[in-house]
Amino acid sequence: MEYSLERGDGAIIVRVCGRVDESSWEAFGAGLSEAIEQARDGGTSNLVIDLGALDYMSSRGLRALTVAKRQADEGGIAISLASPNEVMREILAISRYDKLFTIIEIEVKP
Amino acid sequence: MLVRFWGTRGSLPVAPTAGTIRQKIVAALLSARTFTNASEAGDFVDRELGFAAGATYGGATPCVELEAGDGAYILCDMGSGLRAFGLDSMRRNGEGHRKTYNFFLSHLHWDHIMGFPFFVPAFDPTATIRIHAAHPDAETALRRQQEEISFPVPFDWLRANIEFVQLNPGESYEIDGVRVETARQQHSHVSYGYRFTDVDGRTVIYSTDSEHKPDNMEDEATFIQFFHEADLVICDTMYSLADSVSMKEDWGHSSNLVAIDLCHEAKAKCLALFHHEPTYEDEDIQRMHEESIRYEELTRNGPPLTVICAYDGLEVRL
Repeated sequence: MEYSLERGDGAIIVRVCGRVDESSWEAFGAGLSEAIEQARDGGTSNLVIDLGALDYMSSRGLRALTVAKRQADEGGIAISLASPNEVMREILAISRYDKLFTIIEIEVKP
Repeated sequence: MLVRFWGTRGSLPVAPTAGTIRQKIVAALLSARTFTNASEAGDFVDRELGFAAGATYGGATPCVELEAGDGAYILCDMGSGLRAFGLDSMRRNGEGHRKTYNFFLSHLHWDHIMGFPFFVPAFDPTATIRIHAAHPDAETALRRQQEEISFPVPFDWLRANIEFVQLNPGESYEIDGVRVETARQQHSHVSYGYRFTDVDGRTVIYSTDSEHKPDNMEDEATFIQFFHEADLVICDTMYSLADSVSMKEDWGHSSNLVAIDLCHEAKAKCLALFHHEPTYEDEDIQRMHEESIRYEELTRNGPPLTVICAYDGLEVRL
């Protein structure tokens, strides 16, 4: 799993690629925490997690999202999940996490 | 080793209503054609109707029997499913079965002990009943539910030879031909999982009423080790993952996705979904089972994990 952070239009964007599972959930969680700190320090109230390059996420990754959401909620930051692939859409539906998170589509950079 | 499920529902026993049965029959009739005999009709039910349409997951609370070891009975928990087991064991005793019952209690909440006042062998002066628990107050809990305010037959009227045996997590016990280990789990008043291994090395895990919280994921290594290469893992899969981290957080239960991930990491062979939510109809449980199978496929990174769904009456031979 690799991730990167960048500042977009009114949001901090975390791009995740690979997969988030038992070997990478801690790094994923740390990355989300860092992004939330950046959003708070920069006065940004939106965090977008771009899943476009993510193969899949196990329950460890999903629960790391929950931990991040709790931290974000305390800082008044809204988290959206962007552009999940078909596998991730299924996982979000099976886990019912599509009821907990806003899912959006974002444009892919050329 | 044979595992027989006598009760698979969590929290509260449930039963289908007249309306629910009528719906099943109507749906089956709409799917049916003409049959020449009961066997053909039975094949149609088994192969062409889904499990929810042609059967039921049942509604008795947890009670799981293991046929293993030296011929004594081995039971996990004393939910309402214990009543039917007790009557069946009287029949087997009449055929020469040894009248020794080893119980292993996950915890003392009422859905896991409510069957004991209706356990007929407890009235047999020639029966031996050993109640194993890591809780030091197991006897208190069983006596309390048979005090007069709650039940007309006091605990002291039971005629069987009843012993309470304290188990400790981290220790290994040889009990009537089966090695037994127990591990602490997160639940109100604590719960304990069990690992049973027979002389052939076949292993069953009983891990119910165990919550795996998002802020304790680093502690899951303990469960992965406890579940290691088990032939069958019976796991609490009561809630969706979303429910388990939101409205049902701290209710002491787990989800199908966490159970599958733990089993994948532990290289277990088969997972039985268990402790079904009492408000779920059979269709809801079937859907949860189908989704669990799909999630296992999507996230598999090694040998496949067979995912079955426990129901009252299911037998699994290992």
